[in-house]
This record gives sequence, structure tokens and C-alpha cells, in this order.
Amino acid sequence: MALNDIEVQKRIKHMLAFIEQEANEKVEEIDAKSEEEFNIEKVRLMQTQRMKIIEYYEKKEKQIEQQKKIYISSIRNQARLKVLAAQHDLVSELMNDMKVKLIRLVENPEVYQGLLYKLMLQSLLRLLEPVMIVRCRPQDHLLVEAIVQKVTPEYMKVSQKQVKIQVDREVHLPMNTVGGVEVYSGNYRIMISNTLESRMDLIAEQKMPEIRKALFGINPNRKFFL
Amino acid sequence: MASQSQGIQQLLQAEKRAAEKVADARKRKARRLKQAKEEAQMEVEQYRREREQEFQSKQQAAMGSQGNLSAEVEQATRRQVQVMQSSQQKNRERVLAQLLGMVFDVRPQVHPNYRIAA
Repeated sequence: MALNDIEVQKRIKHMLAFIEQEANEKVEEIDAKSEEEFNIEKVRLMQTQRMKIIEYYEKKEKQIEQQKKIYISSIRNQARLKVLAAQHDLVSELMNDMKVKLIRLVENPEVYQGLLYKLMLQSLLRLLEPVMIVRCRPQDHLLVEAIVQKVTPEYMKVSQKQVKIQVDREVHLPMNTVGGVEVYSGNYRIMISNTLESRMDLIAEQKMPEIRKALFGINPNRKFFL
Repeated sequence: MASQSQGIQQLLQAEKRAAEKVADARKRKARRLKQAKEEAQMEVEQYRREREQEFQSKQQAAMGSQGNLSAEVEQATRRQVQVMQSSQQKNRERVLAQLLGMVFDVRPQVHPNYRIAA
């Protein structure tokens, strides 16, 4: 026998110790590595997730801003429209008032007669046709027939033209017209409207900027209005 | 020899124990990694909840200020309309007189370019 029992035991003890030491070192290495990887992985995961969350909320918070702006702009616009609507209503009120006053004024027969004469003459001089037909309200018919007699020579004097003026017997202006006449060319193709309504409408349309200025004052938003 | 086999037994057992120790360490490592995921998840959730709260309070604030704004604008509008109304009251008679004057101001005349045919 090369080795006796005691030698063998000693050898075996060393080897056992060696095996155990190797194992412990290996375990330590694994544990250390595992801690390191734990930290790295945790930090990595948190970074990426946090990034996503931050992006998400930043976008949402931007949306809040945008929505607020949209809201502000929309209520401001609504407010402007409301003001414009109120303005429009006030002007309409005035126009209705004007119509009422007009109706009362033409109830005076003298005033109305004079007016009718001028309206007819004006229309005729506008139309300048050889044959012209005057259309009026049914209640004005007789009056208009009389005025035609007077207005024909005056027309011929001013225009230096011959003319034949008739009063329309078949069709009349609606009875509730405020007043005035319509004058047609002989073939009814051309019409001149000189009713009080159409005069009122014309004036309203053409004078609207001035009416607004007179009622509401100068508009500070208009830079080029004279 | 009996002692020889005993020694070998001891060595084999030691190796077995060693292998188990290492295997345990590896299992711990795997669990630790899983823990990393779980802990990261929890902390991220926490952060997300904080952010959500922040966002909610911002939104509430915005809603509130929107409400105030619309009330302000309403008031301003009403004042404007009132001003317009009183202005109209003040000026309407004058304007009406002018417009009616225009309606009655009839000037029968021929067009300035009218030529009397010879």
C-alpha cells in the first residue's frame, strides 16, 4: 500500500474542503451577478415605461390647452354673432317703425296726391317708352287716371317725346301696398317699381351703413369706412 | 477497502451538495430577476397614478376657468347689447325723420346722358 488510511483521510478531507470552497465561490459569484442584473433590469424597465407615461401625459395635457383655445374662440365667436343679431333686430325694428309712419303720412290725401304725381313722373322719365302702362292700387285707380291727364303734357315737355300713357285696368297692385305705382313698357317687358315699399327697400339697402352709424355710432373695427 | 469506498461516498456526497448549492443560487437568481420586473412594474404604476392625478387636476382647473370665461363673455355681450339698445333709442327719431324725408324726396328727371332726338 502506497498510502495508509490516515493519509487517505487527510487527502479526502482536503478534497471535501476544496469542493465546498469551489461551490461557495460559485454561489457568491452567482449571487453577485444576480444583484447586478436585478438592478440593471429594474432600472431599464422603469426608464422605458416612464418614458411612455411621460409622453402620453404630455400629449394629453397639450390637448387640454388646445381644447381650451378652441372653446375660447368658439364662445367669442358666438358672442360676436349674438351682438350682430341684436343689431340686426334693432335695425329691423326701426324699419318697421318707418313703414308704420309712412302709412300714416300717406293717409293725408293732399300729401299723397302730390307724391303720386311726382312718383309717376319720375317713373315715366326713367322708362322713356312710347307706350307706358301705370299700375296702381285699386283704391288709387280714379286718382291715378286723373293724374295721368296732368302728367302726360309735363312728361312730353321734359322729354320732348310723344307718349301714350294708360292705366292698367286688369291688374292692380295689392290692396295692402302702402302706396305708389309701377310703370311698365307697352309689352310689359320692362318694369319700373316706384311703390313706397320699393323706395323704402332701396333706401334701406343703400343707406344701411349710414343708418348703422347714426344708430350705433362709428364702428371702431372698420378701418376704411369713410 | 472499506475506507476507500467510504471516502468515495463522502466525495460524492460533497459534490452532490455543491451542485445543489449552485442550483439553489441559480434559482435565486431567476427569482431575483422576476422580482426586478415586479418591482419595476409597481413603481411605474405608482408614477402613472401620480401623473394621472396631476392630469385630472389640470383638467378640472381648465374646466373651471372655461366656466368663468364664458360667464365673463356673457356679461360683456349683454352690456354691449344694452349700449346698442340705448343708442338706438336715442337716435331713432332723427334717423326715421331723415329716411322718411328721403322717401318723399322724389326728383323726377331724365338721365344726364339723355339726348333729345332731333
